[in-house]
Amino acid sequence: MSLVIENLSFAYGDVQALQDVSVEAAPGRLTTIIGPNASGKSTLLRCIIGRLKPTRGRVLLDGQASHQLKPRHLAQRVAYVAQRSVVSAAFSIREVVELGRYALPPDHHKVMEAIERLDLSDIATRPYAALSVGQQQRVMLARAVAQLDDEGILLLDEPTSAMDLKHQFDTMKLIQELVSEKVTVLMVLHDLSLAASQGQDAWLLNRGKLVASGIVDDVLDTNRLNDVFEVPFEWLVSKSGDRRLAAMTQQGPMG
Amino acid sequence: MKFGALVLGATGFAILSLLIDRSPDGVISLAWPDASFARFRFTALAVGIIVGAALAISGVLLQALLRNPLASPYILGVSNGAGLGVMFAMYLSYSMSGGELGIAGQTGPSIIGGLATLAIVYALGQRRGWLDPVSLVLIGVVVSTICGAGILFFQHMVPTGLRGQFTTWIMGHLPQGTPLSMLVVCGSITFIALIISMIMGKAMDAATLGDDEARSVGLAIGPLRVMLFGIAGLLAALTVALAGPIGFVGLISPHGARLILGPRHTMLVPGAALFGIMLVVGSYVGSRLIDVGAGQMPIGIFTALIGGPAFIWLLLSGRGQA
Repeated sequence: MSLVIENLSFAYGDVQALQDVSVEAAPGRLTTIIGPNASGKSTLLRCIIGRLKPTRGRVLLDGQASHQLKPRHLAQRVAYVAQRSVVSAAFSIREVVELGRYALPPDHHKVMEAIERLDLSDIATRPYAALSVGQQQRVMLARAVAQLDDEGILLLDEPTSAMDLKHQFDTMKLIQELVSEKVTVLMVLHDLSLAASQGQDAWLLNRGKLVASGIVDDVLDTNRLNDVFEVPFEWLVSKSGDRRLAAMTQQGPMG
Repeated sequence: MKFGALVLGATGFAILSLLIDRSPDGVISLAWPDASFARFRFTALAVGIIVGAALAISGVLLQALLRNPLASPYILGVSNGAGLGVMFAMYLSYSMSGGELGIAGQTGPSIIGGLATLAIVYALGQRRGWLDPVSLVLIGVVVSTICGAGILFFQHMVPTGLRGQFTTWIMGHLPQGTPLSMLVVCGSITFIALIISMIMGKAMDAATLGDDEARSVGLAIGPLRVMLFGIAGLLAALTVALAGPIGFVGLISPHGARLILGPRHTMLVPGAALFGIMLVVGSYVGSRLIDVGAGQMPIGIFTALIGGPAFIWLLLSGRGQA
């Protein structure tokens, strides 16, 4: 499945959120979308699902403009998890995951498999509203996994921001598994260290403009990051030779 | 089983409403009514069934689409908007011909008033071209208050002798003289709305996700909102034409049915309709049992007495949080 963004611009009234963004997602790879606050990352995802109509340019999914696609057709190709998900009814975890199949043929096996992959089997009958935010993030990811078919596109907006370390680790492992199953993943992340360690490609946004895109190591150039984030960055190398990107403070590396 | 309990409850109140008899000296007994009374009691019961079901379905649709458990036709101003339409028509009828406006004559103004109010609230409740559920409810409350003032204005404009008739209508009642043709039309519309709402149950389930995620799972939320808002507005306006503005039924019935049947809308819609019937017909039974002041109590007083505390409970228990 191809995802091509051509000269995309979008404005919320007078506020320009995206300006002339052109980039293409590499199929079957994990691309992280990074940038400071209000750089247009979430807006970009909302344009991809066709929720926001571009003021200029377009997003093409297999050659079709996303905002002109019927939601039913979009759901067959793209699954999306928002930064803050809401469910306004007292559904159980399983019922929320089943919503991923709303426009698709019912598939009990796929729903149960998604619940299992996100380590939710033991609590599948519990009410969604009673969960912690981190657990709710896992439920929403399970919903998206239940929706995804082979070679689909998965859009994730800060999917692990409220998870504990174990589940953050497990979720990243699952996302890597999905990529190995030929799913194209676009993931907004604030944690540059995580983006550096998990992403294959990266798109760097700043004030609505695409500053750089390509292989993650090339995009995460420390001089470029210093300019964009206005914070000094350094690649730290451990004794075992592992590299880690870190923002530097007077007290040493952050995080 | 649980659904059966609701059917049983609604049927029980319906039978009770037919059998309760109050003699002129205040003695209450249970007896099948004489043929001369039976027709009136059946008419009032039919109005109660239609009004209860229609208000409850309207409440389910509004709560689902606004993702706000406190939404109802009353809170969004539809009931008062329809009421203002009726009151204006009643005032015109009185000033131009000195005559009363029949129930059938109330239907048009009620639907126009209700749908116009919903359209205004819908238009003003948008932000950046998207419907904002919180703004919608706030705008609804303000528009409802303005329409309420309009109702009082027309009530003030008529001679004192006519105010009693206006006041009774405002408090909500089940008229025993509604024409059969109107019952058939309103009953058919309510039944069709029930079926459409049940068919759209899965879509309403998906609509409980945020707008972005609802679209991503394949739901066209915009057209669904317009269609179901139209149905909700039409149903609420019909009830105002039939029985005056009756509060809280559209708010409480969906919650009552949810507690019994769970949140899935395909079952929730008919369950809430049964709950609404129980509430309205039950209030009618209550009004037949209590005879104070100027005779039979308007049922709007009963629904408010039940619904008001239930509304506060919803807020305090957290079930009323959006």
